Amino acid sequence: MTEAELIKKIQGLREIKPKKEWVFLTKSQILGEAPSSISNIGHRMSNMSNILFFPKYKVVLAPVLAIFALIGVLALSQNSLPGDILYSVKKLTEKGQAVFVSDTNKSKYQLEQANKRLEDLNKIAEQNQVKKLAPAIDEFQKSLAQATKNLKETSKIDKEIIDQAKKIVENKEKVEKLGVVIGESEELENALKEIVEYQIKYLENRTLTEEQSKLLSEAKTNFEAGDFSKAFEKISQIQPNNQ
Amino acid sequence: MEKPEKNFSKIYDQYVEKIYRFVYIKVSSQEIAEDLTSEAFVRTWESFKNGETIENPRAFLYRVARNLIVDFYREKGRSQVISDEYIKGIVDPRTNLEQKALQNADLERIRQALGNIKDEYQDVIVWHYLDDLKVPEIAQILDKSEDAVRVTLHRALNALKEEVKV
Repeated sequence: MTEAELIKKIQGLREIKPKKEWVFLTKSQILGEAPSSISNIGHRMSNMSNILFFPKYKVVLAPVLAIFALIGVLALSQNSLPGDILYSVKKLTEKGQAVFVSDTNKSKYQLEQANKRLEDLNKIAEQNQVKKLAPAIDEFQKSLAQATKNLKETSKIDKEIIDQAKKIVENKEKVEKLGVVIGESEELENALKEIVEYQIKYLENRTLTEEQSKLLSEAKTNFEAGDFSKAFEKISQIQPNNQ
Repeated sequence: MEKPEKNFSKIYDQYVEKIYRFVYIKVSSQEIAEDLTSEAFVRTWESFKNGETIENPRAFLYRVARNLIVDFYREKGRSQVISDEYIKGIVDPRTNLEQKALQNADLERIRQALGNIKDEYQDVIVWHYLDDLKVPEIAQILDKSEDAVRVTLHRALNALKEEVKV
């Protein structure tokens, strides 16, 4: 290699750059400035507090302000990721919503939650927030374990559940392509096993086309061999008209 | 905005990318590069706040960054650049997400080769060929003569050439 070629390669390292977000936040922290979005909220809140100069409104305003503050915190928490301070608030809101989900829809709901955790993981991977990777992976594994538990107890696995499971498989591949190792895929295998087992029993009593029958037979072979991912891949392609 | 903040802000905007890159090439970890870079600027800001006159902020920043890297390796040791906490999310301990973004095997090879040569050689190569510092400016940072810097640069390139061949 000539010296000129070597220097050209060295100069290619100019691609190494810090994340813009980090650059902005670090400067703000060093100079003790609040990032503008938070300072805007502070400005609006201070305008509201001027109303407190009128004493007769104080009794009404305190709870009203508290409610606004709570709504603000809940709203802010929706975009939080595992590892963020407001993430626990987000999980509480989701748990609260889960109370209203019927037993028959719990499996689908839990799989949706697992997908949300994968979306969080995807965001974290894209933004290169390495510190949040481990907690995000843990959250995904936990939500998947809960989904598997519900699948074992459910009496019916419908198209919506299969679609959610398909989405999980696709999202997991997407995240892994970004270089994230999610680790043991036992939970996902268990979830897919439940779905495949149910579907095989269901489809055996249905009228299928020749191609669908072939896919079912291949799925059964994969299932018996313990390859639940492959079995699921085959099973998810079969959509009989009456399901 | 008062004067020290304004001056610091200007320096920060001008040099943050260069200092980050300088640190990153040596520590090979985005997290650690961010920590050490922000520490370098915090120390610079402390000097501004205390009313100290920094005649050459760039040289000051590089010196601070170098010292922070030395301290870092003294405390942590070269074998612990990436902590266990992150291993779960990383494909290969030598290939974290930042490195994956480089996408170019050639670039990665050059980066690793640069990481393998003497610290002083790394420094002069980064300063001269990446950050466009002239020989007199490098001489000021290293507190050496310009001739000595020229010799170091020449030796640094040769060392890198040998490392890339391997």
